[in-house]
Amino acid sequence: MSNLDVQIEQSRKEVEQAQSKIAELSSRIDSARSKMEQGSDITFDIDNATLDDVHAHSNKMSANIAELILGLDDVTAGFSKDFDAMRSKTGWEKFVGVFSKKRSEMMRQERVRVASIEDKLQDLIGKSNVISKMLTDQLNELSVHKNQVEANLTKTLTDREVAVSKLEAIKAELIAMDPKVIELEGKLSIETKPKARAKLEAELAALNSKYNELAQEEQVRLAESQTLERYIEKGKTWLDSLQNQSATQMVLINKLQTDTKQRVVLYDALSKSLKTAQQQDVAHQINEIGVATDKEAQVAMAGIGAATNNRMADMMEAHEDHIVFARKVVEEKIKADERFARRFEKIVEMHDKNAYGQGDV
Amino acid sequence: MDLTYTHAVLDSAAETRRYFAKFERIIAHLEAVAEISMDEKLITTMEVKMLKGYLRALSNTFTGLSYKYLMADRVKLQSGDQFSIDKTESGFPVFREIMQMSVDMTQANKHLKSLPSPARLKKDMVNHILTEKTAPSQLQFAMSQRIYYEYLDKKDLFLTQNDPEVIWVGMDVKDVRRSYLIHWAVYDSQTNLPVIYFMELEDTASRALPNDERRWPRVQAHLMAQSVSSLKLLTIAQGFDNDFDTLHPKMVRRFHLGPMHSHAFTQQHGPIRDVLAEASGEAGLDWALAWTVESLVSESIRKEKVGIFKTAEREVYHLDKLDFQMADSGASDISRALILPHRAYQVLNEKHKSEFADVRKYVVGTNAKILSY
Repeated sequence: MSNLDVQIEQSRKEVEQAQSKIAELSSRIDSARSKMEQGSDITFDIDNATLDDVHAHSNKMSANIAELILGLDDVTAGFSKDFDAMRSKTGWEKFVGVFSKKRSEMMRQERVRVASIEDKLQDLIGKSNVISKMLTDQLNELSVHKNQVEANLTKTLTDREVAVSKLEAIKAELIAMDPKVIELEGKLSIETKPKARAKLEAELAALNSKYNELAQEEQVRLAESQTLERYIEKGKTWLDSLQNQSATQMVLINKLQTDTKQRVVLYDALSKSLKTAQQQDVAHQINEIGVATDKEAQVAMAGIGAATNNRMADMMEAHEDHIVFARKVVEEKIKADERFARRFEKIVEMHDKNAYGQGDV
Repeated sequence: MDLTYTHAVLDSAAETRRYFAKFERIIAHLEAVAEISMDEKLITTMEVKMLKGYLRALSNTFTGLSYKYLMADRVKLQSGDQFSIDKTESGFPVFREIMQMSVDMTQANKHLKSLPSPARLKKDMVNHILTEKTAPSQLQFAMSQRIYYEYLDKKDLFLTQNDPEVIWVGMDVKDVRRSYLIHWAVYDSQTNLPVIYFMELEDTASRALPNDERRWPRVQAHLMAQSVSSLKLLTIAQGFDNDFDTLHPKMVRRFHLGPMHSHAFTQQHGPIRDVLAEASGEAGLDWALAWTVESLVSESIRKEKVGIFKTAEREVYHLDKLDFQMADSGASDISRALILPHRAYQVLNEKHKSEFADVRKYVVGTNAKILSY
């Protein structure tokens, strides 16, 4: 159990790290935006905001948590020890049994009577809650970032539209200028009067300088549009990544919660039915010893048939709508398991082989 | 196989609120019923006092749960964090909910330290409403959690295990025989119902049981571990009698509260289903809460050798051998009762009278006055 505690602590640290990394990246992308609005060059900022590091870390974290959830399986395996203990005799009881079978049986009965798994169940719920809280926090964090990035992205997309349309206007203007320049140049080549020539030359120079100005602006606008495009690309990848991480978190939460729900019911039912089975018949027998049994017992024997029939009928009634529901929820459980297995194939495999730390996750 | 198939998730705020409002009303009615039973001398004054204590604790637990889930659907929690009830043969919250509450309770202080104060939350809410012009769901949720943990910290709650308490009843000086009444309660995980136990006990040891640190903690642990509804009273009493040579359980009584049937929330079989289906229509008048009281009384004692020189008394309990079902049930007496609103009772009396002939019926009138039939 303490091993699991250590693992939980470690995962918690990793979640914190992952969150700070995500926050850092988001803020970098954010600050790039505001810088861009001020008109400074953000190429450096964008290239710097590398996703690989974040990805690697969040993958590692998810893998760790998946392992943790499977580790909970190992913890719950401890329950089966309790169940076995209720069924069988301890060493001392066996030893006593050599001398007195009855005494040995009584000792076991006494042990069964005081057995309780309530504290273990509480522990299970507590641990599962801790992990679930961790995952939900992470999920919330992710969705906050996702919303922010999304909002940013839509704004940037409109910015880019504006930039592109400006660029196009400039291009159109440039194209419209071409025939004017050609016309002027044509006129200049046939003009011989110095005065008219000087006037035409001045006109052409003005036109050319405007053309150059426009061409230069085209370059600037083009660069701006390209930067915006790169920013959008980066943002989109980041958004995808956030979405993917969210999906992973949801799968993990789903798996954990389904499992815990089922386990609490299952272990409880098992321990109690064991307890009941081990004691019930004996109690009646003991009471019989004290009661004058002869004639009543015979009547009771005759009644057993009727009682059994009643019980069968009760059981059938209780299970009437069972089948429909069971099918539905079993399907859900299978789905949750499948999703989990798809994402964490490697870990499941390693867990099954019991081969932690022998390879990279 | 799935084991939670009978659990239903209540996922809308209106539904959850209606559910808790219904339960609060029913529990209030139950206290009145307990008083009627006392007037009829079915149970003793002391039992009524204890029963009322547990009912109040139960009511607190429900209030706590209602705070916890008040805003849960607004913030779109995962389905695992939503409120589930057992919809067949119980109608009460599932065992896990109550256990979760025990876990929460141990951490209430930690949460209270980390959550912002109500005053600050309210200020934040006002700011949120004025600046963003939307409902401050997240803050409302935080507030509901704050109230929930404050509540857990302050109130007596009905938890999964409510440890035994002992009341001194009297002493036979000549025989050095003290009498006690022990009471305890559990939230049964198999049936998802609250179960209350009483035990009348005679003590022949020289030291009084509550002051005897050798026996009392063991007694408590034993009784809690044996409080399983699938165990018959006879089994519980026999086991206790055997494990403690100086303690003699003379009478054991067990109250199963529930199931709660409601046309809106639960699925039921048999005549009760028809009754509720016909009575439904107006909200708040389509429910019925059943409860069962099992009693086991000792009729004689026998001596049994324990060790070489000592003998111990062992109880022989009264079981009705002629009635097969009763003999099999491991109790001297089982009585069932049902509390339901007047409208449902009318339907019941007109159409299904024979099916409920052996059930004591308590009917809630329009002015919340309770009549018994």
